[in-house]
Amino acid sequence: MAPLIVLLCALGLGLVGWFAARAKAQAMFTGRGSLHSLPGYHGWNMAIWVFLPAFLGWALWQVISPGLVETAVLSNPAAASLPEFGFQRDAIIAEARNMALNPDAPTFNPKAANLVPAFTAAITKYNWIGMFISLILAFVGGAWGYTRVRADYPARTRVERSMMMLLLLASMIAILTTVGIVGSLIFETGVFFTYVSPIDFLFGTQWAPDPFGSATAPNLGEDYGAIPLFWGTIFIGAIIAMIVAIPLGLMSAIYLTQYADARLRKWIKPVLEILAGIPTVVYGYFAALTVAPMVRDFAGSIGMANPSTESALAAGMVMGIMIIPFVSSMADDSIAAVPSAMRDGSLAMGATKSETIKRVLIPAALPGIVAGVMLAISRAIGETMIVYMAAGAAANLSANPLESMTTVTYQIAKLLGGDGEFDHPATLAAFALGLVLFIVTLLLNIIALRVVKRFREAYE
Amino acid sequence: MSKSASLWQSDEMSARIRKRYAAEKRFKAMGMGAILVSLAFLIFLLGTMIYEGIGGIDLDFLVNSDATEPDKAGIWGSLKGSLFTMLVTLILSFPLGVLSAIYLEEFAPRNRWTTIIEVSINNLAAVPSIIFGLLGLAVFIQVMHLPRSSALVGGMTLALMTLPVIVIAGRNAIQAVPPSIRDAALAVGASPVQTVFHHVLPLALPGILTGTIIGMSRALGETAPLLLIGMRAFIATPPGGVTDSATVLPMQVFLWSGEIDPGFVQNTSAAIIILLIFLVLMNGLAIYLRNRFETRW
Repeated sequence: MAPLIVLLCALGLGLVGWFAARAKAQAMFTGRGSLHSLPGYHGWNMAIWVFLPAFLGWALWQVISPGLVETAVLSNPAAASLPEFGFQRDAIIAEARNMALNPDAPTFNPKAANLVPAFTAAITKYNWIGMFISLILAFVGGAWGYTRVRADYPARTRVERSMMMLLLLASMIAILTTVGIVGSLIFETGVFFTYVSPIDFLFGTQWAPDPFGSATAPNLGEDYGAIPLFWGTIFIGAIIAMIVAIPLGLMSAIYLTQYADARLRKWIKPVLEILAGIPTVVYGYFAALTVAPMVRDFAGSIGMANPSTESALAAGMVMGIMIIPFVSSMADDSIAAVPSAMRDGSLAMGATKSETIKRVLIPAALPGIVAGVMLAISRAIGETMIVYMAAGAAANLSANPLESMTTVTYQIAKLLGGDGEFDHPATLAAFALGLVLFIVTLLLNIIALRVVKRFREAYE
Repeated sequence: MSKSASLWQSDEMSARIRKRYAAEKRFKAMGMGAILVSLAFLIFLLGTMIYEGIGGIDLDFLVNSDATEPDKAGIWGSLKGSLFTMLVTLILSFPLGVLSAIYLEEFAPRNRWTTIIEVSINNLAAVPSIIFGLLGLAVFIQVMHLPRSSALVGGMTLALMTLPVIVIAGRNAIQAVPPSIRDAALAVGASPVQTVFHHVLPLALPGILTGTIIGMSRALGETAPLLLIGMRAFIATPPGGVTDSATVLPMQVFLWSGEIDPGFVQNTSAAIIILLIFLVLMNGLAIYLRNRFETRW
């Protein structure tokens, strides 16, 4: 709660500052040109002077206060019973801190429980000190800002300069996120590769990680072969789903752009787009509830012995349906980009509409369509919920679509779904899988965008 | 003359033309068929959900939270969790998204930094959602020690996912404002910042809002990243704040779908209906905003 109170206080004081400075500037206004900046800008300048020091002070305090809290707790008599050094000591301290911050946190260690009152007291004390420091900073900043309210003070320039800094900072978040993703994936994957060699991981054919097994078993690598996962992902996302999505998506795009009249198109297109807007968990549930049993009965009827409810086919088919609007809109764009002279030429030579489409439009639009399919594949292999609910957990390396299969995304969700330890290879494996998935989808996207760009340029 | 007419009217030729026209009809029917199959699937899906779930929606279902017995379980807890999560997402992603869009479109110098920012935004838009879950787990929970399975962490994770959507929509909306508006404002002495905030931004706002709502509706339906940050717990009491353990509506669907008791089938479908109603409302609002306020220049 403390950060929120500080934030609200700082904002409130900033508001007071805004009114005070604006009033002072308004009092100075004697006519056109008597002030460099409008009173409102003086208000904003003042508000920044109040808020920023207080906020930065509080943020800085958040960084240094945990160390002070720990020192205070350790000097407490309750801390005397702690083990001298090492991992256990840190674990107890961390647990006590967690319990102090979070009253419903579970207790594991009675020694940690002893430390809780000391922690609560120290945290409260240092929070108060922090609040006091920010308050002082707010007033000091405000006093300085208030003396700046003068007729010749360029308040607007200063405010606009701060505004530009804010804009720049906001756009840095995107880079920060990318760096965060790449950094955390690479770091955890690096730790994973200290347990399991990359060769075993990328080329092994048996996937059976045991989250509770020993992390230092000598033949650990044998259970972390990810080939079955890669195959399952490709089979479901890039083969079965595309067998469904490419013909349906392409044909509906062709019908809507070439045959349907404008009124029908106006209605059908948004309705088809609904397919892309339905949450994937709904597709997953639908696949598990209706499609998977159908597939199982079908598998039973063609003589498969104990068919499983979960199958690659059910997941892939539903995923294909989900991807239709995606393929269709990409195909739509690339067909529309083909110059109409090519189409008119073909029609003028006596070709029927379908002949024109098949022999002229599609070949001409092919690079764009292929790029669209690549984007669709990258979307399909990153999809989690449908495969989680319908494709199953068994890491089968098989080409039979009626069998249960597992994917990279499924395993990530499963390995991290429990409360796994962060230093166990089974948990870290999820990050390694994530890194592979990230690299593959990124490559697919980069190649596809290249192709689209070149294709557009060819007709311009 | 008569010779060519007879060539066109020869049996061989008319058979060929019939064949070509038949192929034309087949092709057209295939296109029609593709659309019908997609529509039929959509209707089948929605129909199944309504058929299974409509009986489960009553007042108790709306005001109760999760329970171990299907007829006592309701969605209020997860609905409130969704609300908190979306609130955090909106508070973080909307200002950041709009500000970055303004920077990139109006002020950014053409240099390597700007290119890096643009490339990362476009790539983030294509990153699978589960990767954002990995990021949330590694950074927000492991490094920053924020409370696991809370709406705060869920909202922050989804905000990072929604951010590129808002930035891209914002840039398009800002781009659509004609240069004459900027020129006019600059000509009467407005500073570049004033031009953007007083004139360009208000005109681009409907487009930005439409993009924001679409991004939020995607975040509302998202499950996979939240699975990784632990928002899958059994929550019998609605969360009281953003740091409490919470679950969200799509996660409730997922949790109920795994229950063995057949009574939960009705609950799952009913929760899906509620989720879809929210999505329809949000998208309807986006379409309304676009039609009502968008200016064609």
